[in-house]
Amino acid sequence: MRRTPLAGVIAGLALVLAAAACGGGDDGGTGSGKSVDPATVSGTVTYWDTSDAAVEGPAFKELIAEFKTKYPKVNVNYVNVPFGEAQNKFKTAAQSGSGAPDVLRTEVGWMTEFASLGYLAPLDGTYALENAGDFLPAPAGSAKYNGKTWGVPQVTDSLGLLYNKDLLKKAGHDAPPKTVAELKQYALDVKSKTGKTGLTLNVDAYFLLPFIYGEGGDLVDAANKKITINSPQSVAGLTVVTDLMESGAAPKPAITDSYTAAITALKEGKTAMIYNGPWSATDALKGSAFKDRANLGVAPVPAGTAKAAAPTGGHDYTVYAGSKNLDASYAFVRFMSSTAGQAKIAAKLGLLPTRTSAYSVPEVKNSELVNTWKPIVDTAVPRAWIPEGGQLFEPLVQAYQGMVSGNTDAAGAAKTVDGKYRAILKGWS
Amino acid sequence: MSKNTGSGDTGRSLPSSIALHGALILASAISVVPLLWLVLTSLKPKDAWISSDVRFFDRPTLDNYTYVLTETSFPRWLLNSVLVAVLTMVIGVFIAASTGYAVSRYRFAGLRSILWLLLVTQMFPVAVLIVPLYNLLGSLGLINQYPGLVIAYLTVAVPFSAWMMKGYFDTIPTEIDQAGQIDGLTPFGAFYRLVLPLAKPGLAVAAFYCFITAWGEVAYATAFMTGDDHYTLAPGLQQFVSQTRAEWGWLTASAVLITIPAGAVFLAVQRHLVTGLTSGATKS
Amino acid sequence: MTVSARPETGARTRPAAARGGRRGGRDGGRPGRRSGRAGSARWYAWAMVAPVVIVMGVLVGYPLLRGVYLSLTDATEANVGRTIGMNEIPATYGFVGLDNYLEIVRNGTFWLRLGWTALWTVACVGLHVTLGLGLAMLLNRRLRFRGLYRVLLVLPWAAPAFVSTFIWRYLLNNDFGLVNGMLRATGLPAVHWLDDPTMAKVSVIVVNVWLGVAFNMVAMLGGLQSIPGELYEAARVDGASAWQQFRHITLPMLRPVSQTVILIGTIWTFNQFPVIFLLTRGGPDSATEILVTAAYRDAFTGIRDYSGAAANGLVILGLLVVMAWAYRRSLRRHGEVW
Repeated sequence: MRRTPLAGVIAGLALVLAAAACGGGDDGGTGSGKSVDPATVSGTVTYWDTSDAAVEGPAFKELIAEFKTKYPKVNVNYVNVPFGEAQNKFKTAAQSGSGAPDVLRTEVGWMTEFASLGYLAPLDGTYALENAGDFLPAPAGSAKYNGKTWGVPQVTDSLGLLYNKDLLKKAGHDAPPKTVAELKQYALDVKSKTGKTGLTLNVDAYFLLPFIYGEGGDLVDAANKKITINSPQSVAGLTVVTDLMESGAAPKPAITDSYTAAITALKEGKTAMIYNGPWSATDALKGSAFKDRANLGVAPVPAGTAKAAAPTGGHDYTVYAGSKNLDASYAFVRFMSSTAGQAKIAAKLGLLPTRTSAYSVPEVKNSELVNTWKPIVDTAVPRAWIPEGGQLFEPLVQAYQGMVSGNTDAAGAAKTVDGKYRAILKGWS
Repeated sequence: MSKNTGSGDTGRSLPSSIALHGALILASAISVVPLLWLVLTSLKPKDAWISSDVRFFDRPTLDNYTYVLTETSFPRWLLNSVLVAVLTMVIGVFIAASTGYAVSRYRFAGLRSILWLLLVTQMFPVAVLIVPLYNLLGSLGLINQYPGLVIAYLTVAVPFSAWMMKGYFDTIPTEIDQAGQIDGLTPFGAFYRLVLPLAKPGLAVAAFYCFITAWGEVAYATAFMTGDDHYTLAPGLQQFVSQTRAEWGWLTASAVLITIPAGAVFLAVQRHLVTGLTSGATKS
Repeated sequence: MTVSARPETGARTRPAAARGGRRGGRDGGRPGRRSGRAGSARWYAWAMVAPVVIVMGVLVGYPLLRGVYLSLTDATEANVGRTIGMNEIPATYGFVGLDNYLEIVRNGTFWLRLGWTALWTVACVGLHVTLGLGLAMLLNRRLRFRGLYRVLLVLPWAAPAFVSTFIWRYLLNNDFGLVNGMLRATGLPAVHWLDDPTMAKVSVIVVNVWLGVAFNMVAMLGGLQSIPGELYEAARVDGASAWQQFRHITLPMLRPVSQTVILIGTIWTFNQFPVIFLLTRGGPDSATEILVTAAYRDAFTGIRDYSGAAANGLVILGLLVVMAWAYRRSLRRHGEVW
């Protein structure tokens, strides 16, 4: 079932061809040597980009064009794969051995799963990884699993509070809320003084994390193999959310197309505050409420009783273990994740670089978006990087939906999720 | 046609006439309004769909159409879809017809149960078939290839078409084939020269069904095809509605563009649909 | 269009009797069964079905059999053997007997979902058939604008299903949807069509019914048109009421059509993945999750559970086989040769 003779022959042929194209020098280890001459690297790199094809894609394509000038013998086959499908498509292709890309833009949450399944090439000591110490600790941590490095961070992000300054001012507040208690009060003030909505929630597991982290909770404690979603702290986090909904500070959010509903309400000036990430800022600014760009405020997520914290997000470049063009792929990843490359993307799109050095490049330093979000990302909390991480969100989002539709309360939701986690993480306490 | 028309086709009283037309108008409205709304949305500016202020007309423009046709790979997706759908249709009809004919005319053990086996294959959920089918097509080198997608669609389109064709052939008197064979035609010859021409309405339905199956399929197309050059319409259009951004203006404009040719084909064959489908269904 | 609605059936010069429920010349229908030619007939027959048998056998039959095997193991994406470039992972899964099936049966949510799946199937198929028949009967009269009505009613079938489903999701949207927009305009409160667990169930059924009525209407209309008018005339002479005509002529004569439509419709609806997945993704809080969408979720979330997915698929297959078998049997009992 794995591979018919025919496919084997084709794969073998491709290998021979690739080896021939590389002109020898392909010894599996592929040069931890930083002394690779760009002019000699050759091959074809199929790259699956999961960024927004219309908004972000062009900037990445420009960068790829620069890569081609530097590495004239490498051909890049750029393919935009919608983010929502990329994970499944890659996994199906990777296990089958046919149709997988050489390089994939991998969301940090998928990393350990892919790595544990053997789909990724370890990058330690390869040409792909340049000056590894330069990477910010949180994104770098996302690429590590089992003591090896499986990806090179591309961009990093987190969640913050996006707010309509004007509406908050009308409600009597010049500064954004710093705690969830203030968040609730400000939202209620907006409601009573302006008639608009104070806070619009996005019913999604990822967007629930700041509330759970804020009370000192988490989904799991990976170091001690403990499931912590049903801990008092996590339940307190969920209770904060139900309280926001019940008090009217955050009226019952939409469940279907929740993300769009929230950001649209903000854009139209119908709500004062939402949680969202740096990727949404460009979109938000297009709204009628932000004709004056200065009206859009961005702040760290309000703190719970324990701390203010949002999850680390972002994307890494990964190389498919079955790639027939490892050398070219490594070169591609190295170039794309270089300081110059990251700076270019940051300046163009406002996406946050993962290299410390990129932040001192002038055009990044002066980027308003980067400056706004950098402090937020700095305090972001890494998620549990475990192979089962990808399975943890589904039960949580279902429970969140249950809380919104009134089917369950915070304690009940936590208990349900806890039960489902136990089925996924066998042997955890 | 020799028929019927239930009761009271003439001299309907005014109230019952009003009730009849009222019911039909209501039903027609329900069936058309969503599609009408699709057209109206496609004529609005790019971001107008998302306004909570629901309006029928909002600064009408053809911008969405221009954008979709010139700035995206939509024409390519359309071409790919047409290619895949037509191939599925041609091959599907051919296979379904010969199977339906064989089962209709020859009745030995094994053959008879084939239709039921075909039906059973439709009971296994597609979701569970995706990964094994991918591996199978992958080992044949057919991933991200149109023939691979066509073969996958045949597994969906052929069983029902074969059922329908079998029923249709049942209604064609066997004396016709027998006469042909007496005249020296092989069973194949009798089938192609004599029976198939008589089965045109049935073939039209099977063709339409195969076409629509391939035209609107999402799961296989999304799993097996990658890249703008290879996408068919279903996965292509999904690019307009991503996690964090939904371009309904583009989506609706392309939906209208897709529906028009499909609708035209549909209207052209719909007369056959009524007769073909029934005689097909009237199997036994 | 109005005129063109009928004649083609008549154009096929075929005795009306041949189209009735029972067909006379059926058993004579074996060309080449004369002795000596039976062998070649067999050969011809198998040659004709060969393409289907090969394609279906390889593409569905093989995965199905492999599914049966996998469902008896604990294979997952993590423990099946594979070699991907430099990474070599040995197979470590093993045989677990019927554990996967027992786990499904013991799981309370399976039974909840089965209940909803059954309800969903019955509601959808029931409404498809009754509305399809009702509309077909309205259209099967001599009336003005008949052609126009028919075209309008059939349109939902012409649009690709994924497009229609997206439109409905938009129409039913809380804030931007037309339906709530109209409600608000008339001063009524907006309804959470897709966000309230009960309303979401109603919504997915409504959308699926909208998508499927056209097909059923066309099938029923064809069935109605093949009922010989003389039957009704004779009944009227005997003084039968409209209801009696419907009950004793229309329904029995339609049976061949309605049986197929019900059987196929049940299989399709039971396995109707796209509508629910594209509308609600099974939410809110898995309220609209049917067995197939749940199987998809189990199969594709996180580290894929190959054995569990196969077992799920086979349970669904088994349920449908039992249903089809029972249906066929009950028809037999009612004297239908089917």
